[in-house]
Amino acid sequence: MTSTFHSIETAKRSLFTQTAALNTTGHNIANANTEGYTRQRVNMQASIPMEAYGLNRSVSPGQLGTGVEFSSITRIREGFLDGQFRNENTANGSWTTQADALDKLQGIFNEPSDSGIRTVLDNFWNAWSDLSKDPENVTARRIVKENAAALTDALNYMSGQLTNLKQDLTTNVGVKANEVQGYLTSIADLNKSITRIEGLGDDANDLRDQRDLLTDKLSKIINISVQDTDQGYTILMGNETLVEGNEVAVQVNEGDTPEEQGAFLENAFTSGSLTGGEVYGMLYSRENYVNDYSKQMDELANTLANGEIKITLPKGSNLPAGVSVTGVDGSTISGTVAEDTEVIVNGINGLHQLGYTLDGTTTGGLPFFEGGPPITASNIKVNSAILSDPSLIASSLRTTGTGDEEAVVKGNNSLALLMGNLKQTTFLSVDGKRNATVDSYYSSMVGQLGVQAQEATRQSQNSDILLQQSDSSRQSVSGVSLDEEMSEMIKYQHAYSAAARFMTTFDEMLDKLINSTGTVGR
Amino acid sequence: MQRITNNMLSSQLLLNINRNSVKMSDMQTQMATGRKINKPSDDPVGITYSLRYRSELSSNEQYQKNVDSSVSWLDYNDTVMSQAGDVVQRIRELTVQAGTGTNPQSSLDSINEEIGELKEQLIDIANSTLNGKYVFNGQKYTDKPFVFPKNEDGTSNTDDLKTVMDQIDQGPVNYTVSAGVSMTVNITSNDVFGNAEDQDNIFNIINNISTALAKGDISSVSAQLDNIDTRSDKMLSVRAEVGAKTNRIELLQNRLSDMETNLTDLQSKTEDADYAQLIMNSQIQENIYNASLSAGAKIISPSLADFLK
Repeated sequence: MTSTFHSIETAKRSLFTQTAALNTTGHNIANANTEGYTRQRVNMQASIPMEAYGLNRSVSPGQLGTGVEFSSITRIREGFLDGQFRNENTANGSWTTQADALDKLQGIFNEPSDSGIRTVLDNFWNAWSDLSKDPENVTARRIVKENAAALTDALNYMSGQLTNLKQDLTTNVGVKANEVQGYLTSIADLNKSITRIEGLGDDANDLRDQRDLLTDKLSKIINISVQDTDQGYTILMGNETLVEGNEVAVQVNEGDTPEEQGAFLENAFTSGSLTGGEVYGMLYSRENYVNDYSKQMDELANTLANGEIKITLPKGSNLPAGVSVTGVDGSTISGTVAEDTEVIVNGINGLHQLGYTLDGTTTGGLPFFEGGPPITASNIKVNSAILSDPSLIASSLRTTGTGDEEAVVKGNNSLALLMGNLKQTTFLSVDGKRNATVDSYYSSMVGQLGVQAQEATRQSQNSDILLQQSDSSRQSVSGVSLDEEMSEMIKYQHAYSAAARFMTTFDEMLDKLINSTGTVGR
Repeated sequence: MQRITNNMLSSQLLLNINRNSVKMSDMQTQMATGRKINKPSDDPVGITYSLRYRSELSSNEQYQKNVDSSVSWLDYNDTVMSQAGDVVQRIRELTVQAGTGTNPQSSLDSINEEIGELKEQLIDIANSTLNGKYVFNGQKYTDKPFVFPKNEDGTSNTDDLKTVMDQIDQGPVNYTVSAGVSMTVNITSNDVFGNAEDQDNIFNIINNISTALAKGDISSVSAQLDNIDTRSDKMLSVRAEVGAKTNRIELLQNRLSDMETNLTDLQSKTEDADYAQLIMNSQIQENIYNASLSAGAKIISPSLADFLK
């Protein structure tokens, strides 16, 4: 026999359970647009059935159902997809920052344009060519001076821009370190809360969502691997443990300045445990792109000023007293050149010192560029003496007379012609590794930048798509579908109504029993 | 079957719309600049060509300027040579006239006077300047070459020709007219007027004629005719050389201008956007963009909630 009110209890359990399910549906709908939210489900099960009791054992067949109860409310989520998403997110973070840095580099180079290095270089060579037509003319010299200054300005400016970009990247690493530290602290706190709550047998669904969301965000910045332990998430970057249980294992952003704060991540980059994410992208861009182009520009500037070139001294040239050059055959050449002679000089500086200026002296020219040593794109300047007195620009390779009578032949334009022709001359870089015209060296640099930027852009676009795809597969499992929730709602609503109806039915039964039975003859 | 959620729809839509607008913005940049290469990554191979063409165009422009300057030198040389030729021709006529043997001394004196004038004119021609440059003084063109001492009557004394002519520079004035090619644009005074020691140095000839005329030595006057003819021939050959150079430079001028056309053409092929194609693609892209927007509007709004009462 069952209790009289057994079914009322059953109906009540049903009402409670359906209400819980409706509540959860409402929670799902409410969080349909919450970032990182995972849909939750009420896990229902039939409650423990009763033996219909008898004297010894039940003689009634079967067990009597006692209705429904919910054992847990759980998230619907797949850990594997999380791992996949985080890997894609790390790759995406890295490529996006690299593409961004390369885009900025392209902006710095600003080619093709009428204001890039190529244009000022062309103007510089052309100015010498113009000077060769009027070597005795002060105006032509001023034009050479101005164009040379424009060239050094452009190199200085570009070098400054590269340094700024480098500095920005370093600063950003520090900022990101702060962000990482914030996430790590929150994850450790959440580990603690989740362990506490779940120790009591509950599911800390919403806290788990938060922890996963923070882990997702962390995976954009650095490469992490996540181990789900009893103490919560253990987070590692390479071999370095960042979070274990409720402890943050390392202080990522120690220090006050961005440089100091970034130091941990910089070390991790050097030691090889940082291999992905935005910070990796920044450091990689700084070390491999910005530094590289910075170096190449320095080399360009130094080569222009000092790189070895072969030039042909025209017959009749006479070198200033005390100046000698090495011929291509290794001989030392000084004084008057009897025949056209191919010699080796060190860049524009070396060539300029072979010639005579217009200032009335017959000593050789000054080094055309100054700075350093070594000369770099940031310190290259036109010799300050030349800047203040353009007549010190050497254009002639010839003097007449001897001793006190020696005078510069102003109309000799041999040096200006040689300078103008340097555009087609190959320069051997100061380190002896590269042999190319300045123009082709520069354009190969721009071409290289183009390839790198194109590659990074393509990779970042691809990783966008991959990220979107893996997010989709995750969403497909965990995301809230409003249509689905509406269906569920209807289901639970009807279940609730039916349970209520069941209770009403039973109520009416009891009413019949209590109020309408045993009233014979009344 | 994959479960689709509302957020998936909207984030996919957002990604698509974003990708479409990136493409549209790219096309708009191309349309605004008219170039398909706006940054190196647009075409890394193309950019190296583009830089080279731009650089070569810049050189070409400079060569054309240099060629123009060369042409004005050569034209001026020609003009000066023609004037000098006229003078020598007149001297020859006077020499022939004086040599007929029927002239009284007074006529010879007046011929001598004209010869003197012609000498002054020749000195003026020898001291011609172009843009302030003495064209017959080689690389020392800032200095006046033919500076003769003056006689009492104000005429130039060319007796000590060697001292004067030794000061004159015979150096070439070279202009760069194309990559690695330079051209000598001046002509030297020795080629035109002869060395100081030469029998047929034009000033020597004039001096000899003058001296002979003053003495009435007709045969000596006539003896100079041969010298006049050889000098005249030499001057003509210099003039022919100037003419040949002018031809050469004109060819070069044409070549540079052809090259400019070629380079501009190549540059345009590398850099320039194909407008017809671009406009069409842009139209298509715009349609796709609109379609993705309107599709989005249709996908996003309706849900089961709209149909349930």
